[in-house]
Amino acid sequence: MTFTLFLEQAFNGFQAGITLFLIAAGLTLILGIMDFVFLAHGSQVMIGAYAAASLTALTQNFYLGIIFAIPITFFAGYALEYLIIRHLYKRDHMEQVLATFGLILFFNEAIRVGFGPAALHSNLPASLSGFVYILPEIPYPEFRLLVILIGFACAVGIHVLVSRTRLGATVRAGASNAAMTAALGVNITRLRRLVFAIGACFAGVAGMMLGPLTSVEPGMGEPLLILSLVVIIIGGIGSVRGAFIAAIIVGMVDTMGRVMLPVILRSFMEQASADGAGPALASMMVYILMAVVLVFKPTGLFPPNR
Amino acid sequence: MTRFFSLIGRGLLQHRAMMYLLVGFALFPLYTGFADLPFWNDVAIRIMLLGMASMGLNLVLGYSGMVSFGHAAFFGIGAYCVGISSYYDIFNGWIHIGFSLVTCGLMGVIIGLLSLRTSGIYFIMITLAFAQMLFFGFVSLETFGGDDGMSIDRAEFGLIDLYEPLRLYFLVWAALVIVSLLLMFIVHSRFGVTLRAIKSNESRVEAMGLTPLKFKITAYVISAMICGLAGTLFASWQEYVSPDIMHWTRSGELMIIIILGGLGTLAGPLLGAIAFLLLEEFLPELIQAIAPDYAENWMIVFGPILIAIVMFGRGGLLGLLIKLFQRKGAS
Repeated sequence: MTFTLFLEQAFNGFQAGITLFLIAAGLTLILGIMDFVFLAHGSQVMIGAYAAASLTALTQNFYLGIIFAIPITFFAGYALEYLIIRHLYKRDHMEQVLATFGLILFFNEAIRVGFGPAALHSNLPASLSGFVYILPEIPYPEFRLLVILIGFACAVGIHVLVSRTRLGATVRAGASNAAMTAALGVNITRLRRLVFAIGACFAGVAGMMLGPLTSVEPGMGEPLLILSLVVIIIGGIGSVRGAFIAAIIVGMVDTMGRVMLPVILRSFMEQASADGAGPALASMMVYILMAVVLVFKPTGLFPPNR
Repeated sequence: MTRFFSLIGRGLLQHRAMMYLLVGFALFPLYTGFADLPFWNDVAIRIMLLGMASMGLNLVLGYSGMVSFGHAAFFGIGAYCVGISSYYDIFNGWIHIGFSLVTCGLMGVIIGLLSLRTSGIYFIMITLAFAQMLFFGFVSLETFGGDDGMSIDRAEFGLIDLYEPLRLYFLVWAALVIVSLLLMFIVHSRFGVTLRAIKSNESRVEAMGLTPLKFKITAYVISAMICGLAGTLFASWQEYVSPDIMHWTRSGELMIIIILGGLGTLAGPLLGAIAFLLLEEFLPELIQAIAPDYAENWMIVFGPILIAIVMFGRGGLLGLLIKLFQRKGAS
């Protein structure tokens, strides 16, 4: 394990974490404010990735593709809330789980019908596929660095939006007591729709940034959804700050575990079985982390003040 | 008073529904035998096993109000008990079942005790986390096939050769009858009544001097063991086990089956399993007839059906049947 590899993986972990945060930020507000178990948030990631990939192919310009894709994800979230979700707020958690599970099946299959079952390739423009020297002698892919920067900018944006604006104040008020907030004259219906649309937007952006790094395919959202649920639970439902810290932790643990565990396992196992078991054990670590946190702090690390 | 009688009537009807279903499954091979449709015996076995697992989950979900999103894990543990036993050349089915009940019971105690520290959405998510943990745990076990799974031989039950046609069918049926009777007994015992009381108001039960946690953990362990039994038989029927058997979507599937049939009812999950698997069999054919190109995309119809069930179908299929029956009785 060289220092170069370690640093590179630390950056990768940070990048994974910040992407997770973009997905988790909206979801933690949906879970927190509306007490709504929304499993189809992964589909919003997929919609973002597909919108960006197909618009890039259409316009032959990566940046234009992204710019046009963002409003699409916004309206996807808005429409979904208007058509389906708003009818389910008063139902219990299990019914919400089922209905949004149905949404996942629908979206995955709809994408499969529309775009085919094969993965879509979204190539990076030449201007982004180079390398940057983060330290002398240590090159790092330009695009990943850009993802970190954009993700960080979004995180700052979300922070300012939630803690410094009037909208954010009503969102926080809604999270701690929806009925009282409504009684004070805030239009909760509109607030919910807006949170949904903005959350979908950030999830979509995460999908757009993941597109060139991984593959754009039906069902790409579910592993991300489960991971971002883990992030939300570790951070405390409804807490954006908690989601940020938990996302970085989860991203780091997942990425570092994937690299380090096979190395550690190899010291007392055969190489072949160590390489096979390593990634799966690394995936396990995230859930072990979550279970440990919940056992000691049943409402997460940073539960919002109530 | 009328309310009291209608409650009793509904209870009786539920048991009658259960009885009809069990007798129906016992007679079903006669039909498939005459009509020469051996394939449908396999469908019926899958229905009975998924129904059994859902009945187990229903004890937690429907009767005690704990939304566990990770019961596929116990189904999978039960299945892997067969795989691991036969890897070490133990083919006796009774040992498989014992091994699975003990393992699932122990895992149920551990996972249950840790998970029940939380509640609400946190409970849903921590049960999911444990299921994912076990899923990736089995993926990492290269000895037992890892990601690809392992093929296994059907278990031996003394004189009963499971490779003879219908032997496995009636073994599964017998297990289903035993589980049904057990659940019928549990639901109507004082223990079952307390569970329902906990579901509707936990702090009141506590105020009456009972410890809800004790009841909840017992229910959790029983349901884990029932799911494990179903998984054990499932693995023996499928002759193959892989981590996919405990994928988180299966936990969702079990929940769908319960909601479809009727939450917190005895016969509901079994009815739901029939409806779910028939949908799975017939929906592709139906779509094939309407739009031949899209037969394999049947999920695009199935998803909205689920949403519609949640939105409009309260009480599930059993509720619907009861409503029909009562209207007939009234007129």
